[in-house]
Amino acid sequence: MVEILDLLLGALKIGAIYALAASGFVVIHKATKTVNFAHGAFIMLGAYGAWATLTLLKWPYWVAYTAVPIVVGALAALVEFVILRPLRRADLFSVLIATVFLGVAMMELIRIVYEVELLSVPSVFSGVLAELPGEIFLTKETAWIGAGAIACAVAATLVFERLTLGRGMKAMASNYRGAQLCGYSVPVTYALAWFFGGVLAGLAGVFAAPPMGINPELATALIVPAFVAAVIGGFDSLKGVIVGGIILAIIETLAAAYISSAAKSAASFVLVFLFLLIRPEGLFTEGTRRHA
Amino acid sequence: MPESRLRHGRAVAAPAAAVLGVAIAGIALDSYLQYVVGLCVVAILVGAALVPLVGLARIVMLATGAMMGIGAYASSLLITKLGVPFLAALAVGAIAGAVAGFLLGLPAIRFRSHHLAMVTLVFQALGIIVIREWKTMTGGAEGMRVPPVVMLGYTFRSDESNLVLLGIFAAASVLVITILVRGSFGKVLRAITATEVGSTAFGVHLGAYKVAAFTVSCTFLAIAGAILAPRIRIIDPDSFGIMQSINALAYPIVGGMTSVWGGLLGGGLLRALPEALRAFKDYAELIYTALAVLIILVLPGGLVSGIERIAGRVGAFREASLQEESAALSAHDREPTVIRHDAAQPVAAKPSVPALEVLGVSRSFGSLAAIVDVALTVPAGSIHGLIGPNGAGKTTLFNIISGFTEPDRGEVRLFGAESVGIAARSRLRMGVARTFQHVAIYGDLSLLDNVMIGLGENGVLQTIVGSADDALRGPRYRRREDLAKAALDIVGLHARRAERAGSLALGDQRRLEVARAIASRPRLLLLDEPASGVAIEEERRLKDLLHRLNAEWSLTMLLIEHNIRFVVDCCVNLSVMHQGVLVAEGRPDEVIARTDVQQIYFGKV
Repeated sequence: MVEILDLLLGALKIGAIYALAASGFVVIHKATKTVNFAHGAFIMLGAYGAWATLTLLKWPYWVAYTAVPIVVGALAALVEFVILRPLRRADLFSVLIATVFLGVAMMELIRIVYEVELLSVPSVFSGVLAELPGEIFLTKETAWIGAGAIACAVAATLVFERLTLGRGMKAMASNYRGAQLCGYSVPVTYALAWFFGGVLAGLAGVFAAPPMGINPELATALIVPAFVAAVIGGFDSLKGVIVGGIILAIIETLAAAYISSAAKSAASFVLVFLFLLIRPEGLFTEGTRRHA
Repeated sequence: MPESRLRHGRAVAAPAAAVLGVAIAGIALDSYLQYVVGLCVVAILVGAALVPLVGLARIVMLATGAMMGIGAYASSLLITKLGVPFLAALAVGAIAGAVAGFLLGLPAIRFRSHHLAMVTLVFQALGIIVIREWKTMTGGAEGMRVPPVVMLGYTFRSDESNLVLLGIFAAASVLVITILVRGSFGKVLRAITATEVGSTAFGVHLGAYKVAAFTVSCTFLAIAGAILAPRIRIIDPDSFGIMQSINALAYPIVGGMTSVWGGLLGGGLLRALPEALRAFKDYAELIYTALAVLIILVLPGGLVSGIERIAGRVGAFREASLQEESAALSAHDREPTVIRHDAAQPVAAKPSVPALEVLGVSRSFGSLAAIVDVALTVPAGSIHGLIGPNGAGKTTLFNIISGFTEPDRGEVRLFGAESVGIAARSRLRMGVARTFQHVAIYGDLSLLDNVMIGLGENGVLQTIVGSADDALRGPRYRRREDLAKAALDIVGLHARRAERAGSLALGDQRRLEVARAIASRPRLLLLDEPASGVAIEEERRLKDLLHRLNAEWSLTMLLIEHNIRFVVDCCVNLSVMHQGVLVAEGRPDEVIARTDVQQIYFGKV
């Protein structure tokens, strides 16, 4: 029982990172109808950005948390503006495939620059925040990442739901021409959506850097959970992905602890398949049921 | 036309001959390069195998590696553990690939684009986990040793013999793929990509075709894996990992998606690229993916389209000779021939049975009652018009009659037979064909191919089996070609039959839709705003066409139209719909003269 509680605390930390990773992914999909397979690579860039700020430049953590997401966001907006915008005229199929190759290209670029060095950053906090009954220690680090990442994801949800930005994006996704006629500029709104998604990816990268380590594989290690969390949550529901990320992390952690590490990777895939098959609209639906 | 058959035969055989040529030319190289050419030949096969699935069905396939792994491990295990001869093991490997492809394809009936891409990724990941964890069988992560191929007592040990072996199997596979891509199977896949509703209306089962595309592609991917295994001697999970899948996805994208040549070119060049870049080994993967992005961006049709553009001068020459041909024909085309009363004309229904009976049909979408308790009878041989303001429920009624929408209540009888519950794709066989308000032609296919699909007989097994006949212009093709030409002749598009349908003007596209709809000699033709957006001259031609079809084939028609002049001139009877209800019916001029109709339609008080 105690062991399970301990595992769940760890799962909560990873789940929060998943949730944040997925929220950026969903923002981009919500606003531009693009499934960004390169999202993992943006998160990876965030983690490398954290390393560059903290270890290379020796700047404090708060700089990493503010500057890195903005840089990654700007980069995402640039990618949208330069590469994906011209493709949209063709079809979504080309955009989808372009993001697949873009993601790999970014991973390879990082691999070349940093070769095979295993990089790491120190954790933000050290020490124990509280001791729970049964000799379980809630470290400050776990609390910070768990609460911080979820807070960011929730804040993103609120911003997206409340602000004009979000309204413009939703309008654009549901009726491109209509939104255009109402005075929303498509390139600007799309670039904004990618910026916003990129900021969330960058944040997820900074949060993920201390516990998950920094290497190019972080891209694949997080794009799959982000997708799975999005599917569990219903793909377009920002509230859903937060819950989805945590559910996924719990299932993965339990599978790894009680079955095997192979079962951990299998679990997430089986989960996404079951969801697509049985409940394609996800746990939380917004509006009408979408055809998957 | 034996000459044209020869030409088509050559076009079908050319890709396979090219593959064999590459393999044989490779013999002249040194041992290492022979090995590389061998790998390229396999990649060529992979590229070609992905053309139906990625290029034509436009599915993001991320399980290519796993499918090759299935073929490789299945055949190699049979050979090493059970001593099965190579050919039999290869056949079992191919069947395993087909079964796996079929199963992987089943979700395609429900999922689209990214969800489907994710399903293939799931398959890929689970496949690798199984290979890695089933250590007693597969040797796990260390891999397993594969013995050289033994066939007819000969052991393929040398690099030369292996290259020939790969060349022969790859060429044979590419030949089959070419037939499927160029034949009726490939054409229907293109039709589906162009318009799903437009394909369903002509008897195409969308899900069946997607599953078939998976099955076909995966069969050949498994064959590629099975012939690759003895060449690379040791197979391990990494040989068939996700990176292999992503790299292979680039083959048809970079080469060109819609022809086998694209797959060949992409596979061959991209597989050779890392070897050519061995001096910059670290950058190979980056260059590879950057190249893929670049091609998607600047050359959407892939290298093949680039080559075609460069070879534009040759094309211009060919165009000129075609124009000559069409100039010779166009005189004949100006005045469309009289519609023939031949044996293919359907037996007229008993005059007492109406062509269409709609009895108390209602349908709501959420809280919106689109049509309410509509009753309508169209006697055989009549032209019946249906008008009403936008949102009156005309198209909903139309979709119910053609089977795209199920009514909540009520009955729809077609020639006396109850039709509710019968799929839209089966309506063509009941003698019902339709056109679409938003033109739904197959833009990438020729006019002739458009109309040939309109003939029906589009069952997935039928087109797969019929592909050889179609690609080689066999007797079935020529019989169907004659029927299609006749239909094109009737609408006056015969001379332009070889052109791409997407290049026609809107009025011509509407007439092409009519040709496609009447090709199968239906008994009831449903026309959804056929005159909308066409020039006034086109309108007259269309009207004459409908009158002749009605008079000479006694073809019954139901016509939705906003163009009052057109409707009044065409129809025997006219119904008016308003807010989901039929409000008036009778002779067109009388109906139009009614004050309530004028108020609904023109806003006059």
